[in-house]
Amino acid sequence: MRKLTRSELRQYDGKEGRPAYVAYQGKVYDVSSSFLWRSGRHQASHEAGYDLTEALERAPHGAELLQKFPIVGELVEE
Amino acid sequence: MGRVAREMVERAGINVNELVELLVKNASAELTTYYYYTILRCNLIGLDGETVKEIAEVARIEDRNHFEALVPRIYELGGELPRDMKDFHDVSGCPPAYLPQRIEKVEDILQVLVEAERCAVRQYTHICNMTVGKDHRTYDLALAILHEEVEHESWFSEFLGEGPSGHFMRRGETSPFVSKFLK
Repeated sequence: MRKLTRSELRQYDGKEGRPAYVAYQGKVYDVSSSFLWRSGRHQASHEAGYDLTEALERAPHGAELLQKFPIVGELVEE
Repeated sequence: MGRVAREMVERAGINVNELVELLVKNASAELTTYYYYTILRCNLIGLDGETVKEIAEVARIEDRNHFEALVPRIYELGGELPRDMKDFHDVSGCPPAYLPQRIEKVEDILQVLVEAERCAVRQYTHICNMTVGKDHRTYDLALAILHEEVEHESWFSEFLGEGPSGHFMRRGETSPFVSKFLK
């Protein structure tokens, strides 16, 4: 499994054709195929390239919606 | 734009630009759902399909009503709808409710319908949570829409055999909760 730091994750912002990755509880998900992550932006509040573990606690949906996307890596400390 | 109306919401601590963006996303979800439900309704045929057609039609009309009710609030808060319909489609807060591959399977169409309603329930719950006690008018509107979306979800869920909705069919006019915003 590929290991990504937070600064490496930041490069996968879904903009200008780049893949959109987000992290949740140490796993990195590729959400590029999601209609709701077009251009790396989600519901006016969230950007791809970030760890969304805390944000998901406040979201109106659970982690099950994220878990249908492929895991492409593991988030590690710098 | 309602200058003071917007100012009051800002002063209450809400990021109005973010709120307006969410309202536009939801307006798009409602209008595009109205379109996609038109196609789904046309394909609800046969004994099973005809059984579901009436509630799909009520949900379709009420989703259009939700679009109509959201638009004034977007402009009051200083927002606007995208000039291009294609852009409007693509900012939707919910995925397109496309006709499924197996159009002869009413269960597959019901699954599309229930997922669309579940997305809407999440969207309006989020707006209610964001505006409660701060932006009374948007909260009132989002809550009215939420009431109807919750009912839509439970109707389709009931047809899928997930459990009873506990509801009767609409009696009288559509949009019993949202109609006050349409007058």
